[in-house]
Amino acid sequence: MTAQPGMSASLPPDRAASGAAKLVVPCLIGALVALTLGIYGRLHSPTGIAINIAGFSSPGSVKSWLATGATVLALVQVASALVMYGKVPRVSAPSWIGGLHRWSGRLAFLLAVPVAIHCLYALGFQHYSTRVLIHSVFGCLFFGAFTVKMLILPKRGLPGWVLPVVGALVFTALVVIWFTSAYWFFSTFGIKR
Amino acid sequence: MKRNTPLITLLTGAALGVVLLIASMLSTPSKAPAGYTATATPTAAATAPSTPAPASTVPSSAPPTPTTTAYASAPAQANYAGKVQGGGASVAISIHGSQAIAYVCNGSAVEAWLKGTAADGKVVMTGKNHARLTVAYGSGQVTGDVVAHDTHYSFAVNTVNKPSGLYEATAVVRGATIKAGWIVLPDGTQVGSLESDANSAAPSAIAAPVLDVATGTATFDGVVLHAISVSGLSGSGF
Repeated sequence: MTAQPGMSASLPPDRAASGAAKLVVPCLIGALVALTLGIYGRLHSPTGIAINIAGFSSPGSVKSWLATGATVLALVQVASALVMYGKVPRVSAPSWIGGLHRWSGRLAFLLAVPVAIHCLYALGFQHYSTRVLIHSVFGCLFFGAFTVKMLILPKRGLPGWVLPVVGALVFTALVVIWFTSAYWFFSTFGIKR
Repeated sequence: MKRNTPLITLLTGAALGVVLLIASMLSTPSKAPAGYTATATPTAAATAPSTPAPASTVPSSAPPTPTTTAYASAPAQANYAGKVQGGGASVAISIHGSQAIAYVCNGSAVEAWLKGTAADGKVVMTGKNHARLTVAYGSGQVTGDVVAHDTHYSFAVNTVNKPSGLYEATAVVRGATIKAGWIVLPDGTQVGSLESDANSAAPSAIAAPVLDVATGTATFDGVVLHAISVSGLSGSGF
């Protein structure tokens, strides 16, 4: 992920390109992010441990609650986006809706990062069951898709469907991740701290 | 300036990730305990004897990519027990000639009994619920990986002597076979789980009642369970 500053510096020459062509470089960078996470998760030998957070019974429950927080914020993301796009009947977008959308998104992302680091460092990319394989794949895809979303946000002249579609991809990936981890954790071990 | 805020978000997340990764690396103890031979011998090629798969739609589990290291010499008989990395569960392994029995348990729902055939200081064991354990063992220590109830643990634990080690108890309570397992550690602490229908293809477990190590008994639901030691040294429990 640290490769982005250098990469984004090469973006301006694309400005003349057509709307859809502006997606190419962000998508390539996003794919690179997803691949990097997957390859690191596969090659790095899982340690089984990482930093725990006080007040929780296990790293699993810490991650489950952080992931749940991120998923709830993602629901806020979808709701605020629908309002911004005027898709909710009889609700006109209040002035603060953009701020709500931005800050809930930032917070969701920052909640997801520690979870991903624990996954990558302690557990790695695994495939010993269908749930774990799906979780590993979508975990990598989520951060790739999020990178794409962030990189195309400042671009002007994109087709109108691009942001909603990419946003929906990010949201879908997060929900899949949540169902294959936190939902599984809580339904297996009970809802506990 | 406002146009760069998404990039700032990305970079903040990336920086947070890097900081956490470095902190994790700093807090991880060295994975090379004394007595290791340095040559890493991946056991990915280990042809595991597969158990009769319990009826389930989930595909058979692949080994959890063990980073098992070969030991210079392997004892014919040994008992190992200790906590897994991170301390979330305990594991006990008993070797008796070519037979190996293992139990991994978090004192609650995550637990598995495993069996396998030991050879050349290595053994791959399998159990119900797709449990799988891969280890290399030497005089004094065993290292490996185990997956039980979809939970993966790595471990490096040492030999233990009575009264520490692995205990099991079975009983028939109201028509159902229950099976309890306890791992007693050298510091006297124990973790145990109890399968309330041990003959099921996919048993589920709850916390076991406390085992009185001195008498070898525990009381569950008004029934006294008599535990036996699973020991590779004496062969009891094999």
